Amino acid sequence: MNFKRTFSVTAVLLLIGAAGLFAQDNRALDLMKQAHLNLYYAGDDGIAEVKMTIVNSKGKERQREFAMLRLDLEDGGRQDYYTYFRQPSDVSRLTFMVHKMPDASDNRWLYVPSVDLVKRISADDKNSSFVGSDFTYEDVSGRHWSEDNHKLLREDTYNGRPVYVVESIPKESYKGFARKVTIIDKEYILPVREEYYDKKDKLERVFTVEKIESIDGIQTPTLRKIENVQKNQYTTVEFTNIDYNVNVKENVFTERFLKNPPREFIK
Amino acid sequence: MKKQILFSLAAVLVFMVTPPALLAGETYLGGFVQGLYGGGLDRDNPTSSEMTASETRLQLRMESFSDAAEFFGRLDFVYDDYYNPSTELELREGFVKFRMFKNLDFKIGRQIITWGTGDLIFINDLFAKDYRSFFNGRDDQYLKAPQNALRAAWYSPLGTFSGIYTPRFTPNRIPTGERLSYFNPMAGQIVGGEPYFEGRMPEAEFKNSEIAARFSRYVGSADIALYFYHGFYKNPTALDMVDSTAYYPRLNVYGASVRLPLLGGIAWLESGYYDSRDDADGDNPLIPNSTINSMVGFERQLNASLTANFQYQNNYMLDHDLYADNLPPRMVEMDETYHLVTSRLTQMLWMETVTVSTFGFYSPSEKDFYGRFSVSYKYTDALTLAVGANIFDGKEDYTDFGRFKKNDNVYLKITYGY
Repeated sequence: MNFKRTFSVTAVLLLIGAAGLFAQDNRALDLMKQAHLNLYYAGDDGIAEVKMTIVNSKGKERQREFAMLRLDLEDGGRQDYYTYFRQPSDVSRLTFMVHKMPDASDNRWLYVPSVDLVKRISADDKNSSFVGSDFTYEDVSGRHWSEDNHKLLREDTYNGRPVYVVESIPKESYKGFARKVTIIDKEYILPVREEYYDKKDKLERVFTVEKIESIDGIQTPTLRKIENVQKNQYTTVEFTNIDYNVNVKENVFTERFLKNPPREFIK
Repeated sequence: MKKQILFSLAAVLVFMVTPPALLAGETYLGGFVQGLYGGGLDRDNPTSSEMTASETRLQLRMESFSDAAEFFGRLDFVYDDYYNPSTELELREGFVKFRMFKNLDFKIGRQIITWGTGDLIFINDLFAKDYRSFFNGRDDQYLKAPQNALRAAWYSPLGTFSGIYTPRFTPNRIPTGERLSYFNPMAGQIVGGEPYFEGRMPEAEFKNSEIAARFSRYVGSADIALYFYHGFYKNPTALDMVDSTAYYPRLNVYGASVRLPLLGGIAWLESGYYDSRDDADGDNPLIPNSTINSMVGFERQLNASLTANFQYQNNYMLDHDLYADNLPPRMVEMDETYHLVTSRLTQMLWMETVTVSTFGFYSPSEKDFYGRFSVSYKYTDALTLAVGANIFDGKEDYTDFGRFKKNDNVYLKITYGY
């Protein structure tokens, strides 16, 4: 009898514990989803001027300047990107377009105006560097929250603000990282720091938000940095002239505008 | 000489001043300065100079736009002393773009035009190429020669209809013996130096204009296109026995292409029926036979910084028997089918500041080869250093690449962009 009772109590306790764990995992998932939407799907569309500074291990700087246009067709799902390069000189006027597909490989196009060439780019490796920076293509357009298992590690403070700390492990073995720790600002539900660990659980890359500004009422990280700790190099990205809900139409993300930049948005 | 300098200065002034005055909108300037120095590797190359390049190029680029229209210009000044010092001024591009009735775009003026799916091989792209530049180490952008053309594109719900009208036939720029030697079938050997080769152009008549058209659209994630061309072979591939001159025979092309993501990469397929209008029966061996030209290609990333592609092309002569029956004695018979394979490998290093690239063409039917090798290093955002080589080989002298086999060269190129 006693044994049975003990067993029942243990079972109930275990169940409650499991449910608690489960609830916490769900909460971690919700947080990661909301943070992803806030960072990558702010507004229905957006435009910004971007200045990227790439600093190598010897401290030598290189710069990229481009305008970026984005349209969300579905929050957390299909999204279109348009990039118009301004600097450096050898890539100026070059345009780059991505149709981000939630369940398939992205479609990517590059237009090289000096030879009038529309090139489709194979988008197999999401860990390829974006224009030679420490940002990968995946960093630019975001990794879908459903690809990892998330666990809420703790609540904490970071830079004096209350935050959540979430750990994410890829569901399938992934060469981008083996483990990621994300610090999410409690008030804004925005990732303010991400630590990427490699297979040996050594810290490899650190993403940080250096500055958040309120633009059209949307909390926007306007200065971001990614540092490759192992290679001792980093890249910063600064967003200016940000505008949300500018009413960009879907047809802007077609070959017509790839070859002829939409001047109502990109001067 | 003085006149030329004055003309250049005047051109610069016009270039810098007129468009903004016309359009009064946003204006951007840019360009580069480039030094290119190259030399031949074959001691017995019969060209005028052992240098293949010794040039300084200044490119001025200007873009200006308002709500109504957009202007773009690209002007090259070249001082070239690989042989006799000379200065050259070329308007690479100078066009106006504007939009009408919401769905109709026009681009009028001197422009570079490209379409089709191949990587450095072309079936339905019958716009002018510059193989002289391609073979001596100039930037990839110089493979395309400008054409004076009117381009219109209509974006309909069905797809995009593009039409290009080139009033005056614009041929390819091919080796003439000046900088690069070539095989001359009349001489029966590889020749260079003067007299430089010159093909006979079609008369400057409206009926000799070029017309190119394309219909393109997406089907799922595949882009498909249909093509039409009415004009001339872009190389002087026919021979007039009366005065022993090469000329550009008339040509129509009807083609199609498809390009789609496949197996983690991009695959393409393109085909064209080359209707040799001056040899409709296919029995004149001095004019190209009609052919069906096809290619298939595939490109994918092998890792985050390495990309590879592979292409296979096949040209099939439609009346080979008739051609062979009428072939004069001593002329070499061409195979019914021409095969070509190409492969490109691009490796990026040091945060994409170093690019190592190889591109090989090999024809198993002609047993000839052309390889392009280059390493470039972006020392800063503005300054790029590059070295490279162009290597030709062929069992015979008269094949597509074999005809240039004495032109192996290496080059050094320094570019400063602003």
